Amino acid sequence: MVVGEVAEREDVIVVGGGPGGYAAAIRAAQLGRKVVLVERDAIGGVCLNVGCIPSKALIEVADRYHAATATGEAPWAGLTLSASLDWNGVQDHLRGVAESLSGGVHTLLEANGVRVLRGTARFLRPGRIVVDPGGRAADGSGAWAGAASHHDYDQVILATGSRPVAVPGLALDGERVVDSTGALFATTLPASLAVVGGGYIGVELGTAFAKLGVAVTIVELTERLLPGIDARLAQVVTRRLKALGVAVHTGTRALGVTERGLLIAPAEGPSATSARAATHEPAAAATTARELEAERIVVAVGRRPNSDDLGLDHVGVTVDATGRVVVDARRVAARGICAIGDLTDGPALAHKASAEAEVAARTACGIAASFDPAAIPAVVFSDPEVVTVGPTVEQAEAAGAEGVRSFRFPFAASGRAATMARPEGHAELVADGAGTILGAHLVGAHVSELAGECALAIELAATVEDLAATVHPHPTLSEALAEAAHGLEGFPLHVALVRRRG
Amino acid sequence: MSAELVQFRLPDVGEGLEEAEIVAWFVTAGQAVERDQPLVEILTDKAQVELPSPTAGRVESLAVAVGDIVKVGTVLVTLSAASQPATAAPATAATPRADSPPSASPPAGGPALAPAAAPRGAPPKGLRPKASPSTRRLAAEMGVELAAITGTGPGGRILADDVRGAATAPGPAASAAPLAVPATTAPSAPAEAGASVRAGTSVGVGIGVGDPLGQLSAGVHPLRGIRRLTAQSMAQSWSSIPHITGMDEVDATALLDARRQLREHAGERAANLTPLVLLCLAAVRALRRFPLVNASIDVDAGTITVHDRVHLGIAVATPDGLVVPIVADADRYGPIGLGDAIAGLSEAARTKRLRPEQLRGGTFTVTNYGALGGRFATPIIRPGEVGIVGFGRIRERPLVVGGEVVARPALPVVFSADHRLIDGDLSVAFQEHLLGLISRPLTLLSEV
Repeated sequence: MVVGEVAEREDVIVVGGGPGGYAAAIRAAQLGRKVVLVERDAIGGVCLNVGCIPSKALIEVADRYHAATATGEAPWAGLTLSASLDWNGVQDHLRGVAESLSGGVHTLLEANGVRVLRGTARFLRPGRIVVDPGGRAADGSGAWAGAASHHDYDQVILATGSRPVAVPGLALDGERVVDSTGALFATTLPASLAVVGGGYIGVELGTAFAKLGVAVTIVELTERLLPGIDARLAQVVTRRLKALGVAVHTGTRALGVTERGLLIAPAEGPSATSARAATHEPAAAATTARELEAERIVVAVGRRPNSDDLGLDHVGVTVDATGRVVVDARRVAARGICAIGDLTDGPALAHKASAEAEVAARTACGIAASFDPAAIPAVVFSDPEVVTVGPTVEQAEAAGAEGVRSFRFPFAASGRAATMARPEGHAELVADGAGTILGAHLVGAHVSELAGECALAIELAATVEDLAATVHPHPTLSEALAEAAHGLEGFPLHVALVRRRG
Repeated sequence: MSAELVQFRLPDVGEGLEEAEIVAWFVTAGQAVERDQPLVEILTDKAQVELPSPTAGRVESLAVAVGDIVKVGTVLVTLSAASQPATAAPATAATPRADSPPSASPPAGGPALAPAAAPRGAPPKGLRPKASPSTRRLAAEMGVELAAITGTGPGGRILADDVRGAATAPGPAASAAPLAVPATTAPSAPAEAGASVRAGTSVGVGIGVGDPLGQLSAGVHPLRGIRRLTAQSMAQSWSSIPHITGMDEVDATALLDARRQLREHAGERAANLTPLVLLCLAAVRALRRFPLVNASIDVDAGTITVHDRVHLGIAVATPDGLVVPIVADADRYGPIGLGDAIAGLSEAARTKRLRPEQLRGGTFTVTNYGALGGRFATPIIRPGEVGIVGFGRIRERPLVVGGEVVARPALPVVFSADHRLIDGDLSVAFQEHLLGLISRPLTLLSEV
């Protein structure tokens, strides 16, 4: 024992203050526990400070700017607008939104009696955690900011989240080659931007920067954008991206950074080895590899869990091949240890982490709980937006559901969509033979706000009849869901049903 | 239909399990079975577990009989497995569509231990029982398996009432890894037990099952089930542990008053706050004060293990016999949480839904024999522990208070200790400390 190594006793220690961690801390405190929350950076985590929230703030800015400045499109409804862009002002706005929300979470934690500790947490042994208060002091002197403190716990909830995956050949330098955070908070707006990764982060960023007047190219390894999303939804987004002037290279691999931009090649083309050769000897690979001009390159190809530096091997927590902490439905990873969010299996989404936080907090407080939602909604803030909740027809059939059918209601038939001049996209409902709604898949302007109703219907095992008989307000986009339900009943009101053969 | 013979062997369903007793067969030779359909119910060291079929197919023959005690690895049943669910479909006429996707089928042949190792396999992936989150939570709380319930709501939605109905009806839905204790409300063993084997967890379990207390017909009976396990463990304890038992009585006025005040203060939240809960809390606090009483001794290995946490066993009498569910980490509960935990375990014990892990790992035991009556007793320590405290029935007795003899609710407290580890001084100190906590319940607040 080292002198001074006196451990404080805590009921619950939550490691990580993102949307999973702070929710778990508040709930555990509300359940009567003495709770400590350890956060090495800013309360609110990636989501609130450098992810979901600032990116949505940027998308909103880009939408408004684009609406006022879109060239090549005829003035709409007699309006001619103009706008000017001050990137520093945009930056202030993004930071301001994040800081105000982070401050709000801080207040909530305080109000619930949660103690917040700055630093990184690590298990010493079962029952004890050491918190290192964040490496260096703020003055950059390299001195320790303070002494490490020891804490004995009854229960730990791990919510350390994830970080972007690195791509070989595309080392981040924080200037030219950046991750999504670096793109959002760059000091300058680039003239051209190459986005490596056509998943939801790449598509959202690419769309926003294109609307801000940046020449955007998206490079995606697989055959289409948004590979995890139903192709019928993704194609609407892809069409719009191309209309915005975004160059989309699917089935394409990013090989490395060049002086002028990014070296790419067909995905089936040169292997990694020949890619390196190509970088050094451009002539040799000239047949397949080519160069994209780009002032800045954003790498957004996925995320990996932050499970490495927690001392998990000291406490018997199992980590799978991808670094994710293995948990059961109660979110228990080992005796007295729960884990939630990106650190564990499943989609890396803030709302999934928050929902798991509720379960983990209950488990840690000795209340029976398990995480088994019918569906975890996924939303892409692309243009137009995409919502997918539950299985598609194909997925439902593959899972063994019987009598699966679906109906797609086009927003072209929605009064509200017409008033917004956003007729593109559709709302599709998937139901089984008994009429129970299994899935909802939407693409269209502002459909993110319909995701909650879709999730509620699926989670409550609502039937098509339930949804059709629920009065939906007019004129709103939500009518599309009722219309799709009517369509599944065989009696759509606002679209003419094509009579079935035979 | 192409078929392959699969020998289903007794899997190792728990740590250190060597043998298990066959409690009931749910299938007969020649019967078609689906994957994950329960085949047989077994009784391990303390838990009763249903073993699901590793494959869809047909039962060829049963290799063991109800009441047999078999070793891990023993063939229980031979199945002819359909090599593909598609070809199996005609044989399983009841549900032509396999519940599990084709890819989930285990490889046929071989000992087929792994797929069956989990008690009562998880519901098939893919199709999810239709139920709202609140209904799911209710089912989890009541230990009801949603996959086994037919929903009565629109589109087959499972309603809260469906869950409640399944919880009260003995049957597959309510018997996920149950404990071998019939519901006290249903002193089962119905005359047609042989016909309703699904519900008949008691079939062939031997004495004590559903029989009125102390009643058994003249003649020789098999020693089976919980009776056998209790017999073994009590004999082991009595022959290896030199017991010393202290007996005393304490004025419970303040305790009952404290409990009443807590109930008034916390209202609904304290619905489970019985006097026993405060007594358990006092025992836990006393154990924190004297950690050596919360320990194990192994003379052969030459070790004393002092436990970091208090995992408190609560002895529960059931028509089947003695069961001791464990409140894990009892030392981290306050009175309300401990009450909820004990109520949850009692409910699980009553409804036969204790999971095996809820019966393992105890470090100290409380017996509330006073609930049945009686003043003093000599409780027997559970193997692996070094102490047990018992509480008799609270009755008004003449006590001396401030020099006056007055009628007060008196609580008998008895404490048995393992003299191999605990001498008289510690035994008395522990008991005195416990009595002090009970007589002045406010002091519970000052304890760690």
